[in-house]
Amino acid sequence: MIFNIQKSIENNMANNAFCFNHVHYTYKEFAQVISDVRSELRNSLNEKEKTIGLITNDDVYTYASIIALWLEGKAYVPIHPDFPKERNEMVIEQAEIMTILDSSKELTNIGNGQVVSTLDLEKTTIDLTPVEISDNDLAYIFFTSGTTGTPKGVPISFKNLASFIDAFEDLNYVITNDDKCLQMFELTFDLSVISYLVPILNGACVYTIPKEEIKYSYIFELMEDYELTFALMVPSILHYLRPYFDEIDCPKMRYSLFCGEALPLDVTDEWSKCVPNATIANVYGPTECTIFCTEYTYNRIGENKTHNGVLAIGKDMSHTRTIVVDENNNEVNQGEEGELCLSGGQLTNGYWKNEAKNKEAFFDKVLDNDIIRFYRTGDLCSVDEDGDILYLGRVDFQAKIQGFRVELSEIEHHTKAELNKINVVARAFINNIHNTEIGLILETAEFDTKPLIEVLKTKLPHYMIPTQIKFVKNFPLNTNGKIDRKKLKELFE
Amino acid sequence: MEASAIKVRLKDVLVSILDHDNFELHDELTAKDVDGWDSLSHMMIITKIEEGFDIKFKLRDLNKLKNLGSLVSVIQAKI
Repeated sequence: MIFNIQKSIENNMANNAFCFNHVHYTYKEFAQVISDVRSELRNSLNEKEKTIGLITNDDVYTYASIIALWLEGKAYVPIHPDFPKERNEMVIEQAEIMTILDSSKELTNIGNGQVVSTLDLEKTTIDLTPVEISDNDLAYIFFTSGTTGTPKGVPISFKNLASFIDAFEDLNYVITNDDKCLQMFELTFDLSVISYLVPILNGACVYTIPKEEIKYSYIFELMEDYELTFALMVPSILHYLRPYFDEIDCPKMRYSLFCGEALPLDVTDEWSKCVPNATIANVYGPTECTIFCTEYTYNRIGENKTHNGVLAIGKDMSHTRTIVVDENNNEVNQGEEGELCLSGGQLTNGYWKNEAKNKEAFFDKVLDNDIIRFYRTGDLCSVDEDGDILYLGRVDFQAKIQGFRVELSEIEHHTKAELNKINVVARAFINNIHNTEIGLILETAEFDTKPLIEVLKTKLPHYMIPTQIKFVKNFPLNTNGKIDRKKLKELFE
Repeated sequence: MEASAIKVRLKDVLVSILDHDNFELHDELTAKDVDGWDSLSHMMIITKIEEGFDIKFKLRDLNKLKNLGSLVSVIQAKI
């Protein structure tokens, strides 16, 4: 795969590679910055360092740093400059990061290691030939919400990533160096990886969203002004755009993919008229199984498979094997519900230095005389007679906020730590524009929660901050004597 | 409508959605400067402004709203 990156860049030097805030960069310019960063890496990195921090700015230096690290056989760990310092430092410590690459004018001061500037480096000769890389070398580690207040790391190897790219190619989407592709994701979110990598592997151009812009309206302008042809989005963007669908007409769009949250059929039907010539697909997958691993193509003229109005997530891609199991890891019958489990070439080797979590989330199962390692997704699913997977809900207390995974217990953990002995429940609920928000319910008399929110903002990323707070004198209990979380959720509906 | 009159009404909208008035209304004010003004509340603020002034923003208008001054001029052009 790394050789293919080299080949693609070298074959498309005159083409545009990126567009940041209306400024284009050609692949030649991109190759130059990659080589400059690479030369700097060779000067400043210890050979043994394998995981390198990367401040996720929206510029050519940051994307070039990713490729430069890969050519050197190193993994990047994205560090969001707007996330709380405390959280970033937990990530740096866990991933044993000694070096952070930063393209900011004013360099970051987090962590105890060195910070290497990637801005305005000395020009070197273009060199995109990768060093020798073994399959198990890591390409990146992404940290996601953990239940106990500490984010957990998901390491993805070059082999995992190559497996994903191979399976993506098997979907037979035709992407060429004429394509213009949307990259709407923060680099701390793994959907960003396909959004820059697939264009780079095909010599196409990547369009990013400047940090200060309102995402949904900016996406629309990019789609219209630059006639984008490929876009992977989270469904919440559709909910934001829905009041304006009659203004959107993008006949040039060829592939419109959705991932990260449930995709309702009714919105998809309306959206299909905004992108009349596009293949629309619902793709699914957790970070643990490298970006996404199942695909369902929306049918424009016939019936679509749904559950509660939510589109099916379809069939496993070519390098993934899925099963649906009961509590004892036995496969359920076709049509019955159970937990979706994943295996195959895209699956991570396990959480970063977290044996306890690995024991919980992964298990071995004998299938067709082979021992296969499976990952429990926590997603409740069933499979129909054609082998299409229907998404039914979660088996635990995880929520998706604009595609980001949020463990509600992590929010409860930090709230409880702040409020002495007060009972707390965090719930995700659907607001009136059909997006998911986080509500917090406190078992106490009313008080001013501003200081609490201020503290949470120093512990949690912005998308995990509750947007509504309710007070309840006594939590309702269900028949088992447990807190009735369902009833509490109704407070927000 | 005078810009100053529009601003008075905008302040009411912001307070009603954001639940606080910890901001000074001036032309250079941006969402970033105001606590709680994120993409979610932005959507609610926009809807409330549309209702209050009886106007409808185009999707393209939304990207022109770089600061309070530009919001006032877009509203002025619509009413």
